[in-house]
Amino acid sequence: MTGLTVLPLATLVGPVSVAHYLVVGAVLFVAGVACMAVKRNALGVLMGIELVLNGANVNFVAFASPYLQADGARSLGLDGQIIALFVILLAAAEAAVALAITLNFYNNHATVDVDRADDLKG
Amino acid sequence: MDPAVRLPLLLGLAWLVPLASFVAILFFGPRMGKHGKNAAWVATAAIVTSLMLSLMAAGTWLAVHPVTAPAHGHHGDAHAAAGQDEHGGHAAGHHGHAADAPPAYSGDWYTLYQGGKLKLSIGWYIDSLTVLMFVVVAFIATCIHVYASGYMHDELHDVTDHEVHLSTGGHLHRPGRFPRFFQALSLFCFSMFGIVIAGNLAMVFVFWELVGICSWFLIGFYYERKSASNAANKAFIVNRVGDFGMLIGLMALWGALGTLQFTDMFAAVRPAPDHALVVPASMTNWLLFIAGVGIFCGCVGKSAQFPLFVWLPDAMEGPTPVSALVHSATMVAAGVYLVGRFFPVLSPDVLLVIAYTGAITLFIAATIALVANDIKRVLAYSTVSQLGYMMLALGVGGWVAGLFHLVTHAFFKSLLFLCSGSVIHACHTNDMRKMGGLARVMPWTAYTMLVGCLAIIGAGIPFVIGLSGYYSKDSILAQALSFAQANPRHSVLFYAVAGGAALTAFYMFRLWFMTFAGEPRDHHVHEHAHESPTVMVAPLVVLSVLAVAAGWTIGTFGIANLLEQARPAGTAEGLTGGFAFGQTLTYPAEHLSHAEAIHRAATWTAFGTALAGVALAAVMYLWRLVSPDVVATIFRPVYAFLAGRWYFDELYKAIFVVPALGIAQLASGADRGIIDRIIDGLAWTARGLAGIDAWIDRTLVDGLVNATANATWNAGIALKRLQTGRLRQYVVFIALATVALFVLASLFMRVSHAG
Amino acid sequence: MIPTLAAIDWHAVFFLLFAAVACGGAIAVVAADNVVRMALYLVLSLGATAGLFFLAGAEFVGAMQLMIYVGGTLVLLVFGVMLTAQAPFVSIKTTAGDRALATIVGLGLFGLLVTAGLSVEAWRQPGSHRLTEPAATPIGMALVGVRVDAPPANAPAAAVRSGYLLPFEIVSVHLLVVLVGAAYLARAKRRKTPRAIEVAASAEPPTAVAEHAAIGRSAGRAASVLTGGSV
Repeated sequence: MTGLTVLPLATLVGPVSVAHYLVVGAVLFVAGVACMAVKRNALGVLMGIELVLNGANVNFVAFASPYLQADGARSLGLDGQIIALFVILLAAAEAAVALAITLNFYNNHATVDVDRADDLKG
Repeated sequence: MDPAVRLPLLLGLAWLVPLASFVAILFFGPRMGKHGKNAAWVATAAIVTSLMLSLMAAGTWLAVHPVTAPAHGHHGDAHAAAGQDEHGGHAAGHHGHAADAPPAYSGDWYTLYQGGKLKLSIGWYIDSLTVLMFVVVAFIATCIHVYASGYMHDELHDVTDHEVHLSTGGHLHRPGRFPRFFQALSLFCFSMFGIVIAGNLAMVFVFWELVGICSWFLIGFYYERKSASNAANKAFIVNRVGDFGMLIGLMALWGALGTLQFTDMFAAVRPAPDHALVVPASMTNWLLFIAGVGIFCGCVGKSAQFPLFVWLPDAMEGPTPVSALVHSATMVAAGVYLVGRFFPVLSPDVLLVIAYTGAITLFIAATIALVANDIKRVLAYSTVSQLGYMMLALGVGGWVAGLFHLVTHAFFKSLLFLCSGSVIHACHTNDMRKMGGLARVMPWTAYTMLVGCLAIIGAGIPFVIGLSGYYSKDSILAQALSFAQANPRHSVLFYAVAGGAALTAFYMFRLWFMTFAGEPRDHHVHEHAHESPTVMVAPLVVLSVLAVAAGWTIGTFGIANLLEQARPAGTAEGLTGGFAFGQTLTYPAEHLSHAEAIHRAATWTAFGTALAGVALAAVMYLWRLVSPDVVATIFRPVYAFLAGRWYFDELYKAIFVVPALGIAQLASGADRGIIDRIIDGLAWTARGLAGIDAWIDRTLVDGLVNATANATWNAGIALKRLQTGRLRQYVVFIALATVALFVLASLFMRVSHAG
Repeated sequence: MIPTLAAIDWHAVFFLLFAAVACGGAIAVVAADNVVRMALYLVLSLGATAGLFFLAGAEFVGAMQLMIYVGGTLVLLVFGVMLTAQAPFVSIKTTAGDRALATIVGLGLFGLLVTAGLSVEAWRQPGSHRLTEPAATPIGMALVGVRVDAPPANAPAAAVRSGYLLPFEIVSVHLLVVLVGAAYLARAKRRKTPRAIEVAASAEPPTAVAEHAAIGRSAGRAASVLTGGSV
């Protein structure tokens, strides 16, 4: 139980480490999830998705950075950065398609409220 | 062509052609012309073909085996007498010299089953007897087919049967059954040929039964009539009684000898070289006796011998051509034929049984015929009586005499029946008391029938010439006398024959006088009477010619000499033995009866008795010097006894039918009262159990299944609510589930590490 | 005691700065109701994230983040916002219950992630602060299939490292397909659109709009939409 309750939060006060980035990534990720959960506007949901992807990207970059790693620790190296790049690219593609869908939805239903998009409800 | 190939081919074809006709009429009969009129042509053409083939076979036979006078000069009376003493008390007579086997061809067309020695096959056994029987059966059948195509013309249109009273008070009205009649006739011919050509006893038995079923069809042709259907059933059932004995005989033979082939059986019982009767190592005296008596039992049924003769008079319910063909000339001859064919295997004791059976039969039947008033019944009892003659002849060792009489009787009895049919056709009644004086209106019928009557009583000028019956009956009398001289204790057999001859003469001429002579008794009948059409008279003329001439021997050719060719090996020598009746029996060789003294005595006896019988008939019925009614009144008990047909039917009814019905009633009662109750109870129990089962099924099993289904359904309904279609909720669920998953996983790992 | 300028760990300072802006922006996106503002906060957050990438030594990724996200994706989003920014949809409020639930779940998730992130000892070690080579060239070479970067420390010497030519090509085709698909999806469909255009062009009261929009739906649901979205 100690691992769950007593977090080594003190680390965050020290020099910048991977853990710092991880916390920032967690904040972005959770904010993105919350954004998807809360926003009724389809565009808000899309923004939440962007945030989630960014949170993941922060983690990739952190793991890939020898600058943040302790000496001798293993890092992803260049691979992490390249994956982050791919994520950015795919996010762009996703944004384009999602926006097109949103516009279509708007054209058909005259709204961007995702709560109204329940035609397939059981 | 080799006769061994040609004879089976010709006779086999002659055998199968009627089957083809039967099949054709069976399937296409009603479509053969109007009301199946052409079925008669088909059947007649078939039987004529058979006749032609049979005649060709006869020609083939005669070309190879010319008929010669019997050659028995090489041994005489003294020799036979000497042989009797040597082997007294032994089942087999043995004369110690070689005898030639008769010419015969035997083989198999098709083997149904063969395992070890046991063999079931469709085969042939052809000797001169076979050929002769083929010709006789085919010839008589041809005449009767022609005759029937005229006689049965009523069946060509709808028939109103005046003898069937419906509950509505009217008479039965039914379509004609012309093709059906000829279909059954064809099947009958096929079956009869099958018996004659058969190469083994199993095949004989099969066709024996087929003949029985044909008889059943034909007797019951007017099956709407209660009497006809009863008569058909009676004939069939009584024959079954005899067949039961026959089956026992078959089993005894098969069990002991391992074969039913005639040739093998003959070889086993009468081994070469001298063919004297010996008991095979695998049999005992008694078994041989039982086998012989068993086979004879079948013949008793089929040939209407005492005590199974009761069916034959009733069988006259069938149409008259049927009576002529089936119940006088051929089918009933099958029994005699089989005894003749099986003769080599019969031991002296069996022969004695046969002889006495024949004697009793001939006497009983002749006495009943004295008082019968139904023209067909007189002839039926006459047939029974004549069959008794044949059996008696065979039973006293007269192989040729018995079969000779079989052939001649076939001719004149079919003639007599056809004549009676012609009379019935003209008068529409069977009752002789309503006839009289018919000779004037139907002379052809009257005089051909007179020929038949003369033939059956054996008329002739002694030692010069005679009708066919003269020769055959004389040879029977001679053999009986010969036997009686050799076995004085059994001389009653000779007296039976002699007395029977007198009775025969009396009742036959009583019939003729009552029918054709004198003044008409019933003018209504007389006025409507007319001569029958040519198609019916022509067969009468043809048959009457044969009834006259069938017994003649021209040069060396004659039926008696032809039969002599087929005499089974060893039987020419006479037979001595016997164990079953505690005495030694001596069967004199048949040629001994041709001795001058015996022959002369027999001829004079026959002539005297026949003359006496005719004279008495003339006194009572032609000149009416003595009124038959007065005689009947004087001998009232005897008359009643005879008119009641010795009360055999009543006796059998009391002994067999009533107890059988009683047992049936008892069984029916037991069936209803006990078995049905039990079964009903079981059914009720089963139903109750089924009810419980159904309840369990509905409540428990169905309930379980339904509960499962309902639970699933409800779960589905409940879970449906989760599918809100709300994107945001899903996101929350995903996040929540992820958290929960991680928390649970970590808890689990912690626990498992701790454990 | 005032530390000298040189003693200040500037890296840490900028990290804190960018981290604060990124996190704050992200939370502001969640908190904001107006979609236009949300877009603005998102720009801030993503931009700050790019700064974090620079700080981590991934200058090429940071540049791409700025160019593609901030310069491309967000512009796209803003176009979307502008295209759909009709009065009723600019800010659609959610119920307090939803917000509370999302908050609770979000906190739970956050706790989980942080716990996981801090539970590994190696990740808590202070960074080596070892400056790295510029990453643009190795990335470019890797994307055409040639690896020129040094293998990571402690990597097995014999390990074969492949380039990213194939994924690169896949992503290229993917982008092309997405471009075509998006253009197809978003093209103006005259047959389908008149209602929306009519709605957008008219100055009718919101009730009428809602009723027009509620073709084939129940009136009750339309009303709830209306009450939820009319601010």
